[in-house]
Amino acid sequence: MAAPLTLAAPPSLWDPVVRLTHWGIAVSVLANALVTEGGSLWHVLLGWLVLALLMLRLVWGALGPTEARFSAFPPNPVAALRHLGQLASGRVRDYPSHNPAGAMMAYAFWACLALVTVTGLVMTGGATPMQVAADKAAVASGDWSALIRKGGDDNDEDSGLRHTAEEVHEVVANLLLILAALHVAGVVVEGRAMRRNLVAPMLLGERRK
Amino acid sequence: MTATAGLKEAGRRQTAALLAFLLVQTLGTVFFVGDVIGDLREDPTSVHFIFEAGVTAALVLGIVFGAFALRRTIELLRAQEQALDVARGALGEVIETQFQAWALTPAERDVGFLALKGLDVAEIAELRGAAQGTVRAQLTRIYAKAGVSGRAQFAAFFVEDLLGQGVPASVG
Repeated sequence: MAAPLTLAAPPSLWDPVVRLTHWGIAVSVLANALVTEGGSLWHVLLGWLVLALLMLRLVWGALGPTEARFSAFPPNPVAALRHLGQLASGRVRDYPSHNPAGAMMAYAFWACLALVTVTGLVMTGGATPMQVAADKAAVASGDWSALIRKGGDDNDEDSGLRHTAEEVHEVVANLLLILAALHVAGVVVEGRAMRRNLVAPMLLGERRK
Repeated sequence: MTATAGLKEAGRRQTAALLAFLLVQTLGTVFFVGDVIGDLREDPTSVHFIFEAGVTAALVLGIVFGAFALRRTIELLRAQEQALDVARGALGEVIETQFQAWALTPAERDVGFLALKGLDVAEIAELRGAAQGTVRAQLTRIYAKAGVSGRAQFAAFFVEDLLGQGVPASVG
């Protein structure tokens, strides 16, 4: 209905860019954390994919429809804490986009994703998946010059930077998994308090028979 | 499929196409930007680099325009949906008022609505758990109260006002 009442409720179906980036990043991050081997072609490929999806979501945050824009869910830790307090007491209200706690979660996710992809790029020396594949193929065929080239420009400063990047990469990757668990828990608790299915709007919307 | 469902389907297809386009473009841009940054460390003054930087700028601009186009499509679809909701509500109100003016009983009102939705006697009877003869009798009473000759005129009664133009001269 066109009634202004519905403007206060979260969308019954998120727009396709929000849904695509959400699930694309979720699947890629889980795959890279649990399945693929660090430094492998698939790991690097999925990392670049996450970077592209993150970029798309951030562009969408500036140009997308109202509820997808940053202005609809500004980072506000005070409001987030207040919302969690309301949730604990069982009184929740509707927000037109992410609730304040969910908004903080989104920004935390994006910061971690940016960190994890940038440190990944530092670790691989910015090699694209094509270069990784070419290097691996060269090494496999007995030409080890790819490895030598990589080692050749490794001065102390560079290797120090790479080492730091590796540490950060691992810590932030684990942090991402913790955030994801918190996020899922938040969706369950929030959905129960609001008596509303919060997953359907992120998938295909409420299915009307 | 109704006419509005067809429109919606077309809109959904357009959104999906724009989204696919935007995703491919973003992927390409991210790879290209990575490549350009790699080149930057080698020789930022070479023609090769300047050319690539120009292409990258064009790609980024393409993403911005693609995002704009997608948002416009999404907002247009939502506006259509909303207009349709308003029209639906308004038509419902018109029908309700008219049914009251004809002094239809609650049962006749239900049957009248179902008949307007295009259900035949057998379907209405099944939905209402009534005998087909009962439904037929109710329809006859409705047509009599409305002063129409049958189902076609009954439906036309409400559609007529929605059609802006009169009957074309060549037909009349």
